[in-house]
Amino acid sequence: MALLDVSNLNIQFSTNSGPVFAVRGVDLSLERGETLAIVGESGSGKSQTVFAMMGLLAANGVASGSVKFDGTEILNAPPQVINPIRADRMAIIFQDPMTSLNPYMRVSEQMAEVLQLHRGLSKRSAIAECVRMLDAVRIPDAKSRINLYPHEFSGGMRQRVMIAMALLCHPEVLIADEPTTALDVTVQAQIMQLLADLRRDFGMALILITHDLGVVAGSAEKAIVMYGGQIMEKGPVDALFKDATHPYTRGLISSIPRVDRNDDLAQFHSRQPA
Amino acid sequence: MLIERQKMESLSEALADRVEKGRSPWADARVRFFRNRQAVIGLCLLIFVLAFAGFGPLIARWPIDEIDFMVMGDIVRDGAPSLANGHYFGTDDLGRDLFARTVLGTQISLAVGLIGAAIAVIVGTIYGAVSGFLGGRVDNVMMRTVDILLAIPYMFVLILLLVMFGRSVVLLFVGIGLLSWLDMSRIVRGQTLSLKGREYVEAARATGVASSTIIRRHIVPNLLGVVIVYATLLVPGMILSESFISFLGLGVQEPLTSLGALISEGAATMNYGTLWQLIFPLFFFIVTLFSFFFWATVCAMH
Amino acid sequence: MPPQVLANINAKYGLDQALWKQLLDYVWGIVSRFDFGPSFVYPDQTVNSIIAQGFPVTLTYGLLSAIVAVLIGVTLGVVAAVRHNSWIDSLAVGISVGAQVLPNFVMAPILVLVFTLWLRWLPGGGWEGLGHPAYMVMPVIALSTSYMASIARITRSSMLEVLNSNHIRTAKAKGLPMRRVVMRHALKPSLLPVISYLGPAFVGMITGSVVIDMYFSTGGIGKFFVESALNRDYAVMMGITILLGALTIAFNLFVDILYAWIDPKIRY
Repeated sequence: MALLDVSNLNIQFSTNSGPVFAVRGVDLSLERGETLAIVGESGSGKSQTVFAMMGLLAANGVASGSVKFDGTEILNAPPQVINPIRADRMAIIFQDPMTSLNPYMRVSEQMAEVLQLHRGLSKRSAIAECVRMLDAVRIPDAKSRINLYPHEFSGGMRQRVMIAMALLCHPEVLIADEPTTALDVTVQAQIMQLLADLRRDFGMALILITHDLGVVAGSAEKAIVMYGGQIMEKGPVDALFKDATHPYTRGLISSIPRVDRNDDLAQFHSRQPA
Repeated sequence: MLIERQKMESLSEALADRVEKGRSPWADARVRFFRNRQAVIGLCLLIFVLAFAGFGPLIARWPIDEIDFMVMGDIVRDGAPSLANGHYFGTDDLGRDLFARTVLGTQISLAVGLIGAAIAVIVGTIYGAVSGFLGGRVDNVMMRTVDILLAIPYMFVLILLLVMFGRSVVLLFVGIGLLSWLDMSRIVRGQTLSLKGREYVEAARATGVASSTIIRRHIVPNLLGVVIVYATLLVPGMILSESFISFLGLGVQEPLTSLGALISEGAATMNYGTLWQLIFPLFFFIVTLFSFFFWATVCAMH
Repeated sequence: MPPQVLANINAKYGLDQALWKQLLDYVWGIVSRFDFGPSFVYPDQTVNSIIAQGFPVTLTYGLLSAIVAVLIGVTLGVVAAVRHNSWIDSLAVGISVGAQVLPNFVMAPILVLVFTLWLRWLPGGGWEGLGHPAYMVMPVIALSTSYMASIARITRSSMLEVLNSNHIRTAKAKGLPMRRVVMRHALKPSLLPVISYLGPAFVGMITGSVVIDMYFSTGGIGKFFVESALNRDYAVMMGITILLGALTIAFNLFVDILYAWIDPKIRY
């Protein structure tokens, strides 16, 4: 049985100008220790898909279908079911490290509360554990930095804090929602390397959301291409790159700039559902 | 690998549908307006209040200050609202027609609201635009001045002024307006600062247009939207201030009256059984405020 | 009036001095001794004695009103935002819209009408000190209602905004129960706009206390202020205005400090 099994996931947002169907009929599955990449342009519904899986949709969003985590139905599950899974067994790193940490709390408190909640640790031992985790994501001088507020960290460092916070309970699934888009190119590479290392060390499954096909080729085993809220194509990464059948995927691949060929960058036009 | 052609087709169809449904922004605004029940209620109430203030004098059978000696002896019994003797809202404690006086009170309250707001808007806009446009040290001094003035309980100052210079309606109107421009100036300054950075303003400055002309020609017209929204919020605030002062007996003086003064009189006599003296002015006061607040909400949305 | 008497009176109030000297003495008296001078109307009273008489009363029901407004307003706003689009949300919105048009001078007669004349539950006015809460109920409700409503409205909208923000999504993703998300993560940031509103609310309440004192005969400084305004007792008016102005500035300073304490990004 797959660790995570999503079938026929639909997401709908009610807005002032009527309902918007953000995701339609998404099926996917994830085995233990596997890396799955979800690729697609902004607005293709890839982030909303994973938000729905963790019950984190905005207030006006409604999800239907089925999400089974280790055999338990967690889509639209009551807090008693979903809360013990969140962060403990399935954790998420968000796109924007600048706003995803609570600006009014010290990093130590924000991190420690995860362990206090799920592991029942005392505050002191929770903080000690958090310092170890910050060391593991290579934040220098973690012991004193943990007492700072988020705005006292740089963007890359904040994303490392987010990653450390997500890993505190050694989750079985880590969802990384475009973990590097908000960061500098050099920092991006560091973070991706860090994620790959950590995944190997902790042996967890990873869902990597990105629109960077280079990242997909480098780190994922399976990939899903989403467009307009639907899955266009899915399969092993090698096959996907070698002979993409779908015109959208081919367009996506041909738009990767390459240094070994000297032709014009391919452009392609797409329309999103309004 | 599976090509989900069917899905792709349904998707492009859905997209094509959407393109057809374009609407002009005005039609859009109209639809939104009428879909918003609050806005419609607010508009109806506003029309009702304006009609009452405008056509009330035509309906009233009594002048505002004539004492009806027929009811004067026993107001509780004879002064009650009645169609027969023309006192639709009854009479006040002295035997004057309450309908005519409520119409007058509503007129004065509306006038204070509109004139006071107009003064506050003019002073606040000029002050804020100048401060924001000039910037630097001048801006600093002007805005710190506003900060200091904002810390003063201005109602007390207004009462102080009214006592020192005599209680005239004109001073009341002007005083309320002059003491309420502070927030306005802050908002306008903020907008001006952002407008100042725009290319067309810089272009005007680069070609040597005088500061006063730039403020008049470029800055002020672009501030209109914000100013209008804030002005509609100022009107009920002004009405509240005036009614407050009149309630204390320090505002509009006899024989003129305002809703605040009428509420005060009605409240003072209500335990004698002349409840209508409180109810009617109170009703029109609440409806007037309500309509303006609703109206302001609508303006803020667009 | 014999010239001797007039001269005596002028000497007592310092009116025989040059104008600049009078102003200087007045200001110096306030700054050095906190002395606002004698009343111009009541020969046996000083401005200080009048303030000493009325201020404790004003302070008592003013503080009570502020506490009621903040506690109920914040609670109502938070519950409305957390239960967005439920009946309690509609109730909170209804109350806050309704209370906008019910300022203290409208609330006061309505309360007396209902609770004193019809139900006969509460005394219609007067003040019997701290031991008699029945006399405080209506003044506190009349003074606090519109501010309570504003605070509820501000809390609700800022809480709704905060609950939609990214860091709250992070808090939910941690598996925290909703109550803890709201209390520990959402409350602090959504109180910031409320704290900025406290300054203007304070000024409004001080102003409103005048109506309370006049209508409920509570005997606070508001009554003295209006009486002095009607009697042209400039000394008392000036004294009360200066005192309240100073209080307002002190309160605004307190609000700024509170703001900085909550928001770690502000450092002085």
